[in-house]
Amino acid sequence: MMLRRTFLAALTGLMLCLGHSPSSASAAEQDPKVFVTDLAAKAMETMTAKGLSDHDRAMRFRSLFTTEVDVHEIAKFVLGRYWRAASPEQQQEFLKRFEDIVVLTWSTRFKDYGGDLRHTVGAVAQEGERDIVVASKVERQNQPPIALQWRLRQGETGLRVVDLFVEGSSMSITYRSEYASVIQSNGGKVDGLLAAMRTKIAQLKAEPANKGN
Amino acid sequence: MTVIHASRYAVTRVIGSLMALALVAGCATPPPADDKEAVAEWEQINDPLEPFNRGVFDFNLAADKYAFKPAAQAYRYVMPKFGRDRVHNVLTNLNSPLIFANDLLQGEADRAVQTLFRAMINTSFGLLGYADVAAEAGIPPHEEDFGQTLAVWGVGEGPFLMLPVFGPSNPRDGIGLVAEFFADPFDIAMANAGKEWISYTRFGFTGLDKREGLLDTLDEIERTSLDFYASLRSLYRQHRASEIKNGRGGPAKVPSPGMTGSASPSRNAELSQKAQ
Repeated sequence: MMLRRTFLAALTGLMLCLGHSPSSASAAEQDPKVFVTDLAAKAMETMTAKGLSDHDRAMRFRSLFTTEVDVHEIAKFVLGRYWRAASPEQQQEFLKRFEDIVVLTWSTRFKDYGGDLRHTVGAVAQEGERDIVVASKVERQNQPPIALQWRLRQGETGLRVVDLFVEGSSMSITYRSEYASVIQSNGGKVDGLLAAMRTKIAQLKAEPANKGN
Repeated sequence: MTVIHASRYAVTRVIGSLMALALVAGCATPPPADDKEAVAEWEQINDPLEPFNRGVFDFNLAADKYAFKPAAQAYRYVMPKFGRDRVHNVLTNLNSPLIFANDLLQGEADRAVQTLFRAMINTSFGLLGYADVAAEAGIPPHEEDFGQTLAVWGVGEGPFLMLPVFGPSNPRDGIGLVAEFFADPFDIAMANAGKEWISYTRFGFTGLDKREGLLDTLDEIERTSLDFYASLRSLYRQHRASEIKNGRGGPAKVPSPGMTGSASPSRNAELSQKAQ
């Protein structure tokens, strides 16, 4: 019974992914509002879908994350001045580990909210020459809404997310500041950060979030 | 009367001596001036007292583990969500005088009127704040504090500061905290009426309410971050900057991915003007 449901959910997810990819590539001029609405709906569906193992959830979240988010650009920003100091191998490993950490962190974050989340898109603003910022909010039952801002950039294949602000805090800047601190405490070495990331990933995989709400 | 005065005196003493201690305790070593990128990073992180702050943070973690967190978990366990929401509403309502004063001091007439109406509606129809009738009528709550007022007046945040028990802060917000502790009209009224126990009860419930509300969030950040302290420091500073602008202007003042290093000041100024 459980297995069948999981299988069905996985199948639906697969079909959603297949159905989606050609459309995002063909649309040259996407409406930022529609882009954010669709992306949030898919992300929320992935994060809150019931009867899905953490592993499947992470897999679906990863495919969403790598197609709609400019991971490379964000990873470069997050590593900041250490990106240029790093060897190509270190850069490659950092990209991979960073993706792992983000996927493991965010794929289970809203699991317990179930269907109680409501996402609505607000104002759109041009930022600088290249970026578009879309404001939105997530409403929860009996709780103050969470304000989000999505920073988007027009790439070759359409719009992609380059940053997400949660209650005014940029996720890229938070990661950047945290990782700089880890590198500092490892004597300015990127390898120290990579080792810490490996340990954290193993930890996240071993003990998934258990929240007693 | 004397009890509350004594405790207030103790609080100022403690905070005052901590600030003095922070000045003499170990400071982080700034990078050499010729390494421009390292200097930019140093300034952006804004934490010259990091060794001291991390010491306080370790103390806070221990206190949290053995006292505050279990208390918040017990509170969540014994009090159903409905009850916690009512307590939260009453506490929010008791904060109205201070929020109203800060709205006025910041020249935010609209928000001051909102706070005033909310307090009037919720104190009367909402039975002393028990129910948030005003929010249902379309006047949502908002927060303000004296640290934010000082920021609006142009006082800079100063270096990052980890306060014992109260957590991430800075000298400006720390002063705001102390000022509000002394200026709270409700507490003054209770002290004058000789009913300090009401203030203590309020203080205790405020702590429980805050910590309970953060249980899941803090657990998640601790679970997923490589450096819990550095994550909280960055989140706190960014969140404060956004609160001070009351959510207006949004991410305009922070550098975006793709612009390596920190954003140029001229671009920042231009963007923040556009935002207003």
